[in-house]
Amino acid sequence: MSELRKDPIIGRWVIISTERSKRPSDLLVEKSRPRGGFCPLCPGNEDKTPPEVFAFRDQNSTINGPGWKLRVVPNKFPALVIEGDLDRQEKGLYEKMQGIGAHEVIIETIDHNANSSTLSAIDFKNILFAYQQRMNELKKDGRFRYISIFKNYGEVAGASMEHPHSQVIALPVAPKRAVEEMNGSEEYYEKNKSCVFCDIVKQELKQRERIVFENDHFVAFEPYAPRFPFETCMLPKKHISSFEATDNDLFGSMADCLSLVLKKINKALGFPPYNYILHSSPIDNSENDFYHWHFEIIPRLTKVAGFEWGTGFYINPTPPEQAAQHLRETAVE
Amino acid sequence: MKKLMFVDDEESIRLLYKEEFEEKGFNVVLAANGEEALGMFDDVQPDLVVIDIKMPGMDGIELLKKLREKSRDFPAILCTAYGEYKQNFETWASDAYIVKSSRLESLFEKVDELLLRKEKQ
Repeated sequence: MSELRKDPIIGRWVIISTERSKRPSDLLVEKSRPRGGFCPLCPGNEDKTPPEVFAFRDQNSTINGPGWKLRVVPNKFPALVIEGDLDRQEKGLYEKMQGIGAHEVIIETIDHNANSSTLSAIDFKNILFAYQQRMNELKKDGRFRYISIFKNYGEVAGASMEHPHSQVIALPVAPKRAVEEMNGSEEYYEKNKSCVFCDIVKQELKQRERIVFENDHFVAFEPYAPRFPFETCMLPKKHISSFEATDNDLFGSMADCLSLVLKKINKALGFPPYNYILHSSPIDNSENDFYHWHFEIIPRLTKVAGFEWGTGFYINPTPPEQAAQHLRETAVE
Repeated sequence: MKKLMFVDDEESIRLLYKEEFEEKGFNVVLAANGEEALGMFDDVQPDLVVIDIKMPGMDGIELLKKLREKSRDFPAILCTAYGEYKQNFETWASDAYIVKSSRLESLFEKVDELLLRKEKQ
């Protein structure tokens, strides 16, 4: 019989289909066809991107020229624009504001063909530092309430080009998903006087059946009630409510953990398309005792259809205990 | 006289471009699809290219990438009826992205702006 499981943070129920349980080899991995050709993110084409807002580059190199290791540039054709006032308006039931926001692209490496298995731990550390730098910079803008950082890898996951990149979007409102997690965590805190994520970490480390990897400061595990096969959560073991408050000393350990988990997913599932999303406290409540920043990693192996859209229920064909065991047993360097 | 190349699969749009831009004193060259544009490009050597995105066969983004492999210096405008291609970072190979409208003012302005920028370089 299948199982209904409830997410302890937002109370979402999922169906874990134990009867029709799918092993990694049964899951359909949709490969992207290599697109090739001219790439505006590659070194030498810096003039095809907007001027950089942040970069790790060689000492003698020129801003917006070659000689960089990582660049952050605003989106050339953004959906939300940085200039202007919000001009929030209400009309009866409805509410609107101007499309103000920041949309930046983090060009993670000069190597067009790199992927999360070929990037070094130092590359990952640079990427994570860039995320923190951009969050700290964008949160200074009083119009923004939430900063979303995410990566799409592969066409199915929404990546429009191969060159490794992630994205930063600063929003003038906190998105529904973040609010749900904040509210759920706060409610739990009021009842239990502890952070729900810290308690999850304690229980996962005790039970160990869903752990994928841990090091001194970070742990990665399959959530108890995941929506998707091989959905993985990675977070610091100690309580840190916002990503931007994370000490520099932890970035080595963070980079190792993220890099290793992605390598395991790549190897176990044959380089599936995936999304990872950084969840951190909203700007106006960035230091608190109840929320805990984390990465959500979602290999894109199943399709979301009418049942999921209509109910918010998800059917997951791979129990997280099986997924975790498989990832634990997948050896990577 | 500056030479503009327009690539669009709709004949009526191509004729509109030709009429309006010739009236403004440009030399206009038309291509009905990506393959044709790619074949003409080296001979025409346009000062600026305006490309539709959604075309049968080779789409405008693919065409632009192929043209950029020939030359990275010519100004290029993607002119499409669809805003959603903005999410595709491959469109960054262009210098401007314009959502088509029956009025050509924004396209006129962008063509002038990009040609001026090119002259100053």
